[in-house]
Amino acid sequence: MTRPSERRAARDKGRGAAMGAARDKGRGATLATARGTCRGALILAGLVAAAPLPALAHAALLEAEVATAVRLLARYDTGAPMQGAQVIIYAPDTPAEAWDRGTTDAEGRFVFVPDPALPGRWSIQVRQAGHGALTHVQIGAGAPGAGPETAPVPAAVIERPATTAGPMQRAVMVALVAWGALGTALYFRRRGHGDASA
Amino acid sequence: MIRLTLAASLLGAGAMAAQADTLTLFATGEDQATVGFHAPELTRDGWQLDFSRVIVTFDAITAWRTDPPFQADSPAIDGAGVAFDGPVTVDLVDADADGRVALATRPAAPGHYNALSWALVPAPEGPFAGYSMVFEGTATRDGTQVTFTLATRDAVAHACGEYLGDVRKGFVTADTGGTLEITLHLDHVFGRADRPADDPMNRQAVGFDAFADGGMHEFSMDGLHVGHVGEGHCHDTPL
Repeated sequence: MTRPSERRAARDKGRGAAMGAARDKGRGATLATARGTCRGALILAGLVAAAPLPALAHAALLEAEVATAVRLLARYDTGAPMQGAQVIIYAPDTPAEAWDRGTTDAEGRFVFVPDPALPGRWSIQVRQAGHGALTHVQIGAGAPGAGPETAPVPAAVIERPATTAGPMQRAVMVALVAWGALGTALYFRRRGHGDASA
Repeated sequence: MIRLTLAASLLGAGAMAAQADTLTLFATGEDQATVGFHAPELTRDGWQLDFSRVIVTFDAITAWRTDPPFQADSPAIDGAGVAFDGPVTVDLVDADADGRVALATRPAAPGHYNALSWALVPAPEGPFAGYSMVFEGTATRDGTQVTFTLATRDAVAHACGEYLGDVRKGFVTADTGGTLEITLHLDHVFGRADRPADDPMNRQAVGFDAFADGGMHEFSMDGLHVGHVGEGHCHDTPL
């Protein structure tokens, strides 16, 4: 299960988010939907947990969506995860400008939902302490494993070093997994002035 | 140092970098060249270094458009290339406000130049002819101060992938020129005191203790991976 703190962090991170729990795709949950436009959302199951009356200060709105996500794992060739590394995502339509930014979690993981309206080669850069790697994933037509959006199967697995230099050179490994129909997006939208723990 | 002068004349290449259908190439040793190794970023063995000159000679420089993108996993790059004239010798201490030295600007077809190949080679002429990289400066530790000249004759070919940094580089359009950068990580030579002793970089770095008597010393580049593109890595091959 995703911890509430993770959900809060994911909600606040924008279009991408670092979420260790997201690797547990079978359990669904935890993709930031902060873009708020249901970009990539194929199914929106909005559940109103309580009547949205202004007088209910602690009411919550729960939404879930199904989307295609890209899961990133960044680590050094020593096996150590790149914790808190900077992530920059570039979309194919404007490859010179960052589409989104974020940071990996304690396990070197990061998940984001690419815009399905922007098919093509997406590039993801991860950097930390003078070490970096860039990897690419094809989204949309021609993407490996592209299929029914509701089939939660791995669509692509890319794992490669950023360098092939000798073992003394610290390298960065980036693994990408894109899969369709990740059940995602649990977040709470508080109404009124309720406390987060409400 | 004819080429040094030429490189210096290109320092104001910002305007050229904005010129359409061109690609401008820079080299940098980052703050470690222009500022030196100062606490907490001393050498791995605790020396403060201040450089008066860091002389480097590059040759066989080619910027590439590759598809699929070259991943620095082999010595050969397959793509459409733009070659730069060489060899060119520069002083990385004599850099612009961004710590860079402009090497050259070349006409370039529009596209994304996402790979770069170049070689570190011995200078063909000048006071450091025969040396590919020279560090000149002062080292200080525990009240001891020595002046030094450290030099290597080694030649190393580099095949690099895309530049990695805060800004993605290498885009040439009909409206704007692009830039690329050869980045030398000098801490791969001297190590870093603010990194763990067992950090792979520190384990392979030469440090400065071996040169603590000052004067002129030669060193080997064997096993030292100095060449980068920003924070992106290169496949390097001794020549």
